[in-house]
Amino acid sequence: MSQQSTTNRVLVVGAGAPLGEALVRRLLADPAVGHVVAATGYPADTFPIESPDKLTVCSVDITRNRQLHHLLFDTAKQLRITTVVHTAMHLSATDEGPRVHAYNVESVRNLMDHCERHPTINRLVLRSASAVYQVQRDLPVLIGEEHPLNMAGSAPQWVRDRIEADVWACTRMGMGRLRITVLRMAEVLATGTGSQLFDYLESPVCFQPAGFDPMINVLTIDDAVEAMCRAIHCAEQGVFNIPGADTLPLSEVILQWGRLGLPAIDSVLTPLYRLRRRLTGHDFRYGMNRRWFIYSGVLDGRRARETLGYSPSHPIDWPVPNIPASRETPPVI
Amino acid sequence: MAFSPAIANAIAALCLSDESRSRTASLSFQDAGHGYDAFGMHPSYVALGEVLVSPLYDRYFRVQSHGHENLPSAGPAIIAGNHSGNLPIDGMMVWLDVLRHSSPPRVARPIADHFVPSLPYLGTLFARGGMVGGSRGNARTLLDSGEMLMIFPEGVPGIVKPWSERYQLQHFREGHAELAIRHRAPIVPVGIVGGEEQLPALFSSRRLGKLVGVPILPIPAVPVPLPVRYHLHYGEPIPVHEEFTPDQADDPAVVRETADRVKTAVEGLIRRGLDKRNGVFE
Repeated sequence: MSQQSTTNRVLVVGAGAPLGEALVRRLLADPAVGHVVAATGYPADTFPIESPDKLTVCSVDITRNRQLHHLLFDTAKQLRITTVVHTAMHLSATDEGPRVHAYNVESVRNLMDHCERHPTINRLVLRSASAVYQVQRDLPVLIGEEHPLNMAGSAPQWVRDRIEADVWACTRMGMGRLRITVLRMAEVLATGTGSQLFDYLESPVCFQPAGFDPMINVLTIDDAVEAMCRAIHCAEQGVFNIPGADTLPLSEVILQWGRLGLPAIDSVLTPLYRLRRRLTGHDFRYGMNRRWFIYSGVLDGRRARETLGYSPSHPIDWPVPNIPASRETPPVI
Repeated sequence: MAFSPAIANAIAALCLSDESRSRTASLSFQDAGHGYDAFGMHPSYVALGEVLVSPLYDRYFRVQSHGHENLPSAGPAIIAGNHSGNLPIDGMMVWLDVLRHSSPPRVARPIADHFVPSLPYLGTLFARGGMVGGSRGNARTLLDSGEMLMIFPEGVPGIVKPWSERYQLQHFREGHAELAIRHRAPIVPVGIVGGEEQLPALFSSRRLGKLVGVPILPIPAVPVPLPVRYHLHYGEPIPVHEEFTPDQADDPAVVRETADRVKTAVEGLIRRGLDKRNGVFE
């Protein structure tokens, strides 16, 4: 793992969500980080962290290119920011449309355009997701970075947007002086991260396709933050899978979570969970996750281990206590 | 699975001898956390598999095996054999035979056709016992971590071949040879005698197979497999890991020649088995 020698000054986009907030906290405690700019969709004065010497909080709507431009060429330039970490993703899988696309994809595109012309920024770390990968019976269980992406035309916007942002970043790698790192993270099993699995587990009874019990890998916020920090401090660029410390069957996840798992015929699960969405406002879409609930798919973190020096070290503290009864998705848009 | 490893363990404790349980308990495998490997194998379910397969192995098919000394005790290896019998009972017999007779105990990881992981219940049960889907990536990962694979290079055409072609090897695919060369794994040929006679088929239907999610469905002439005796003959390992460099896995001639060598070795072992046995049921 090759370390950057200079002190990093980091802009975190998406700091209002739990993952971004945890990253800001970690960066503030890191002596190798000189200054942190937290860009959040919330009003700046509601940001829960204060550190007058080292932290600047900005309220930014990243779907507005002008605001993004001001963030980079005003605040970030004055503070001599060297690294941008983009963690923002629209959380809800049920929301669709151009504004969601602008949040998930156009913001990345605009951010990269600005970063490539920026006088002080030389590094971009993009949070991507394991959902970009295709999972099917004739593909390997262990998913490497070269694994096929889920380019199915029937994939919902939630998936398509993540793939488009990811591929967009990959196509710009090595094309300029901006060093780009894409972190394809396993599902972060925590509230406010857009985890479909977390939403699925919020029900006291979890239905799974009868006869199937795929292997699943899940990540904690601590490990996700660790991976991002290592990417910030590493001089290499590339695409890296970020697995978590927990690899277990779906039935075991349900059991460990303290839920009752019941088998159901595969064909009834899509309408069943659609009904659940409509009645309770939950977000889990079975059709979107169907293959992950039938075929095993586990991220192979070998490249991240060898290049970034990242190995998952924070397993989930099962059973997770005090799961909130109400949904706590922050208003990222 | 519908039940936890603890229940599988309890069943194994009731049904298996202390020796068998200590054997599965001492299996070395890549624990990815929570006792499972990334492909879903769990030692408790391996023990449960032994509980389920043992009556077939010991009493019904009365398996006799020869040449255990040819099973490598460590490191990557590929067991390659003939496939037959319309049901993958031959794979189950080899799986248990290797588990019982390798020292230290090893699980021969069966590489199954793509349709197997998509079979409800069976796919999951097999995965808990060590089976993996037949993609190159899966095989590569297992060999890199020093596991022993079980491959039937004839594939589905081997298992569903008609009665008139029994013990005649079908086309040997080359994937196993390429994997062995690239990942420096010796190939242990195994000749399986008995499987061909277990379940004669009247005919096989692709159309009916599609209905149940398999490539081809044999219609058997008997309602249950016949109690034939299985004879397993392991041959001397073919040391492709010493004879070739990994780069030579890209040479089609080398790979084809290696696959042919394996086929010839398996043919020889089948012939030896057929010569030695006194009858289908003996």
